[in-house]
Amino acid sequence: MSEISCEEVLHEIEHFVDGELDQTRSAHLAEHLGVCGSCLERADFQRRLKEIVRVKCSGPPATPEHLLAKVRRAIREDPPTVV
Amino acid sequence: MNANAETAEGAAERPESPDRGELDARFEQEVMPQLPSLYSAALRLTRNPTDAEDLVQETFLRAYRGFHQFEPGTNLRAWLYRILMNTFINTYRKRQREPQTVSDDEVEDWYLYSKMVDGGVEPSAETTVIDALPDQDVQDALADLPEQFRTAVELADIEGFSYKEIADITGVPIGTVMSRLHRGRKALEKALWNKVRERGLVRD
Repeated sequence: MSEISCEEVLHEIEHFVDGELDQTRSAHLAEHLGVCGSCLERADFQRRLKEIVRVKCSGPPATPEHLLAKVRRAIREDPPTVV
Repeated sequence: MNANAETAEGAAERPESPDRGELDARFEQEVMPQLPSLYSAALRLTRNPTDAEDLVQETFLRAYRGFHQFEPGTNLRAWLYRILMNTFINTYRKRQREPQTVSDDEVEDWYLYSKMVDGGVEPSAETTVIDALPDQDVQDALADLPEQFRTAVELADIEGFSYKEIADITGVPIGTVMSRLHRGRKALEKALWNKVRERGLVRD
């Protein structure tokens, strides 16, 4: 019943996973994924890969203690500007 | 001193016409809490804690000087990231010339997925293999991408910015953002596949 081909779906899957498709287009893709196991598996792969990159790369490189103070000091010593 | 047109217009947009004290208070309240997030981004850009600190300090100084031009209610995070990127490009990138392209002609779409399937990984277990990589491996794979591709992937996948926001932050058209993201992700997939193989997590 879905009018989009697998080729079209896979071509747009990146934008779909990024949440960048408009509502109508997104709904059409979701509908296709509901009935096409092979596209769904690739969509899930894309989604999980994105999530893995986020989780593994956003681990906290803790901000050095002194940096906050250093930045505040730099701002305080900055010559005042006319607003 | 005569107020120029720009100042007059700015004042008209902000009827309360905040003085420096109010601006300072808002800066402290709204901008300073962004420091850890900006520091992480700076660290990824410079790959060096000392440079990252300098970059953050310069970014906050520029943000402070320009804060009266920031329109309240608009996207503060994107505004700060734009300053960070501009500062980085103007100050640091000159020092570290690196190739600005990825040779991705041989990397086809669905590279990693196909490799996994060909490697006999169980359907739907493909990402479990990637997840088994140490965090450092994934961070290295990302860090080794040429800068403009790395930046696009970081802003989208780590910072969660939209294509439009990334276009504003990096100063390129949305089409360029999409192309850099697509190519950056493909190059990342290839690098991840190499890591997976090196770790013996899959047979080739």
